[in-house]
Formats: sequence, structure tokens, C-alpha cells
Amino acid sequence: MKAVGLDIGSLATKLVLLDENKKMIDWKVNRSTYDFKRVGGDLFKDILKEHNLSRSDVFVMSTGYGRNTVDFANDRITEITAHAKGVQYFYPDARSVIDIGGQDSKAIVMSSKTGNVIDFQMNDKCAAGTGRFLEVMSHALEVPINEIGTLALKSNSPASISSTCTVFAESEVISLFAQGSSKIDIAAGINKSIARRVAGMAKRIGVEPLLVFCGGVAKNIAVKEYLETELGFEIVRPEYPQLTGALGAALISFDNHK
Amino acid sequence: MKSLELLSEYSNYLEEQKLEGKKIIAFMSHDSIPEELIDAAGFIPLRLIFAGNDDLMNASHDYLPPSTCSFAQSCIGYFARKPNLYKFLELVDYILLSNHCVSDICVSEIISDNFNVERLNLYVPYTRNESAIKYYKIELENLRKELENIIGHEIPDQKIKESIDKYNLFKKKLAEIEKLEISGSQKLEIFQKAILFGPKILNEIEKLIQKNREITSNDSQTESNNKKVIFTGCSIFLGDYLMDLIEESGGEIVFFNTWIGHNYISQIYSDKILNSTDDPIDLFLYRFKTNIYGDHSVPDSLDNEISYLETFINEYQKENGEKLAVINHVIKFCDHFSLFQSTLKERLQNKGIQVLNLERDYSRANRGQLSTRIEAFMEMI
Repeated sequence: MKAVGLDIGSLATKLVLLDENKKMIDWKVNRSTYDFKRVGGDLFKDILKEHNLSRSDVFVMSTGYGRNTVDFANDRITEITAHAKGVQYFYPDARSVIDIGGQDSKAIVMSSKTGNVIDFQMNDKCAAGTGRFLEVMSHALEVPINEIGTLALKSNSPASISSTCTVFAESEVISLFAQGSSKIDIAAGINKSIARRVAGMAKRIGVEPLLVFCGGVAKNIAVKEYLETELGFEIVRPEYPQLTGALGAALISFDNHK
Repeated sequence: MKSLELLSEYSNYLEEQKLEGKKIIAFMSHDSIPEELIDAAGFIPLRLIFAGNDDLMNASHDYLPPSTCSFAQSCIGYFARKPNLYKFLELVDYILLSNHCVSDICVSEIISDNFNVERLNLYVPYTRNESAIKYYKIELENLRKELENIIGHEIPDQKIKESIDKYNLFKKKLAEIEKLEISGSQKLEIFQKAILFGPKILNEIEKLIQKNREITSNDSQTESNNKKVIFTGCSIFLGDYLMDLIEESGGEIVFFNTWIGHNYISQIYSDKILNSTDDPIDLFLYRFKTNIYGDHSVPDSLDNEISYLETFINEYQKENGEKLAVINHVIKFCDHFSLFQSTLKERLQNKGIQVLNLERDYSRANRGQLSTRIEAFMEMI
């Protein structure tokens, strides 16, 4: 049997296919849109077709915000447990995780003995410190979201964004423009603001090295660097940081069907 | 659905009481309110134990900023929202202001000033020394006088004593509910109903206990795979969806260390204490003095709470072979619980007890996020 992990996040849906030896043989990512069920179902159908598989050839574990919409899954698990498992695939010595997704951010601490989750913290419903915050700010700056990180690192004097609310922060960005701040410094301030907020949450539960940074926002190099400054140690990032939730779900699916 | 039925039943009850000429005294506070005195004076004590929602919180924003206690916002919302979600609140004659917390004072004042509800006062000291007890006694006597002025005659000591006996018997019976082998949601429903109706439903509680014992003795025991937890912090109020989320996530609350739950019934008098004095005010003072932890901010309340939780968890483990985890429920901007949440978690975790700090407001928008936090905690334990 193979295993599929399907991570339906608020912004992106991720799918990972593992072979019988738990080796990642394929993966897919698509926008979640408003129709979680359809997007997840389409990715699943595509992967089965491309690998000439039928439903009965795979275990399916769903995770993420839309995990309950996947009616073809054998089981479901929260993204917190899934990420913890997924990062250990790449980094067996990982002790902590920071996951910043589209709608929420999480800090997770794992046991050094078992690798199991021993504590976690999630952001509130507020969008600050999430991918959504970054999206709104990149729109305000008129900079593509995938460029805001590299732009930020050119700054020698990051602007100070003090508002913790996304809406107020957007107004603050506009007022910084009015005061003559450069786009580069504002971009740096925005990235720093996310890092500061998430690091504060992570410190409350005692994250420690080796810390793996995952989720869509982990692709942003500036947030990673600022997180390292805030936490006071280096952090690592897997090659595909968006996939750790789906990967972890697939791995847990194997464990459940031993 | 069950909470709607209960509210409808309660509404009918209050209407009947009003037709009989009774007056209703509502209050937000939980600790240190002498409901027996209110009962003895012939009033109906009405604890505001209704959960909020977005509508109610929004309706309060003409009076309170959104960054205030969600329960306080909801309490204003009960009165401000038109049409009123809980029609029976229009029957309230008085609001009893107490200083359980700052929100309690503000909300009671706002309700009184803006919704034509007369105010009574009972200020409670935060300490438990001799001066505090003297002060609490003065406040109790003032409240008694205020009530006597309203009804136009004295409230005899004997009548207050009878009421204390009645409530004490009721709380003793309610304490048996904790031992029943029923789900957490069933226990909670009983506690909620008991706190609304009071000793009036003593017979109903007795029958329920009896019925449950018969069912338990006839049934073979089935082992539950649910994760057993203690619920502490802010109470789960009537109409809240939180209990559903916990049970849907595979959690089973075996002990409610909250006002709607154990804290209420922990204030039972022993027969020795009951018979030790003819002055009912002394009994209120005794209860005040010995209520060293609970919702109310009193010195060292956190130490007492942690110690109590630890003892309960250890005893439960000895008896049942299972270690309980803790869900600490914090209603957003409720200072008492918010300020203590990190310390409570850290200190319990240092003792090897797993804790989920569940901070939230009553908004439906974060139901999914709440559900993830609870499910992840159940997976973790």
C-alpha cells in the first residue's frame, strides 16, 4: 500500500504521495479556493491517474483547516501533529517547528525522546503573523508576495510597524509612505513584524534548536532571517516547506495501518 | 437544542413567578453572592450564565469597546440587542452590582443606567483577613437592609437560616452528580439547570441520580477511549458550543473545576458548622473566609488552585489508573484568568500535567481554529 497525505490549508492545498517504503514519490500544490472539497478531490484524482493507482491502493489521511471536508480520507489529523511528524522525515533531530500558513501560525515543541508533540501554540483568529498579513501588505506595497522577502533584506534601516492588527498595519504602511519611508525599509518592517509576533508566541512554549520553519511563509527568506534574530539561534527550512503537513499526514497514515 | 428548551422552560418559570408578584434580582458575579439572603427575602436570584455570540457582543459596542471581556460584552448585549434574545431579561427588576472583577462593576452600572434596571450593591473585599471579614459583614448587612426596604419588612434570621439549609441540601445532592457515570455534557447541563432554577429542582435531581444509578448497575461497563480531562478557568455558559467541540474531538470532561461545576458545590456547609450558630450572617462570613480560591481574585488563589488540581489529578490517577490533562478556558479579556494562564500552564507542566490554554471569545468565526487546537491537544495527550 502507498499513502497519500492531503493538507487542505486556507490558501493552498498540498498533496504528498509516499510509496510502500515511505519514500516521497510525488506531490502537488494548488490554490484551495472556496471549494476545499473539490480542489482536494481533483488533486487526489490526478495523482491516482498519473500513477495508475486506484483508491484501494492507498491510505489517505487528511489534515489542515479543511481536513473535515475530505470524505474519501481513511482518517484525519490536525496539522499540528502532521507538521511535527513531517519535519522529522527531513530532520530526525528536530525539536521544534514554526509553521506559518495562510491563515494561522503555530509553534510546536516535540519530545527529545519520542518525537511526539509535547506542547504547541497557535495564533488567535487575528491575521497578523500569518501569510494573509503578508499578502495584504504586499498588495499595499505593490510588490509581488514572492519578492517581498528579498526586497526586505536590502534594507539597512527597517521601518517600525507597531500595529498588531492587519487592518491597522495597512494604514500604518500608507502613513510610512507619506512620511517618506522607502519601499525597501517598509518591506523589511513588515517581515520583521511577522517574525517578532511569531517568535514571541514560540518563545512562550520554549522552542529550541533544531527548529524547522515550514508552511508557505517559510519560502520568505527575510522572515526566516528575522526569526533567527528574534529567537537567537539558527533555524532550518526544508526544501519544500509547504509540504511537511501533507507529508506528516501520509506518514501517520502508515503508522495507523501497521 | 437542549439549551433552547431549558431557556424556554426558565422563561415560563420566571413569568409564573412574576405573576405571583415575585421580583427578580440578576447578577453577574458568582462568588460571595448570598443567594440564600435574596431567596429568603422572597426574590428570585438570577445568575447571568448565558454564553454570548457575535450578535450580542456587537450589540454591546455602543457601551463598551470590543477589547473588553467577551462575557461582559455579551451581558450588555443581552439587554441592548433588540429584539431581546432572552425575553425573560425584560422581567428583571434589579441588578446586583458586585466587584467580582472590574467588568462586573462596569457592566452592572451600564445595565442599570441604560436599561431601566434598578441597582443594588454588594462590594466584596479581595483579602481574607479580619478587616475584610468585618467589611464583608457590613456589606451583607447593608444589602439585607436594602432588601428589607424594598419588601417593607424585616427578613427574619430564621427565614435566612431555612434558605441556607435548603440551598445546602441542594448543593449536597448536586455534588452526587459529579460521581455519576454520565458524559461531561450531561453533567454540565445539570449544573447549568441547577444554577438557574436552584433548589426548586431538587426532586428532579434526586430522580435523575436514582435513574442513573439503576442504569449503571444494569449496564456492563464499557471502556471509553476518550481522553479524560479536567476543565478549569471560565465556566461554560448556557448555549456555548465549546462542549460540543471538546466531545467531538474525543475529549471527556470528568471534572468541572469552574463556577458552573465544582466551585458552586464546594461551598457546602457541614452539619457541625450549620448547627454552630443561630446567626445566618455568621454562616455567610464563614463561607467567605473559607472560599480561598475560585473565580474571585484573592491573594494566592493561583497557588491554591494549582495545588487543588494537582491533588485531584493524583487521586484520580490512583483510583482510575489514568492521568488527567487540563483544559484552562480563558474568555478573551477576562483579566483574572488571562493574567494567570501562562503561569498556571507552566507550573502544572512542571509537575508533568499537560495543559491547553484555550483563550477565545464567543465569535462563531473562530470555531474551526478552536476545533484544531482542541483536536491537536487530544492527539497530544
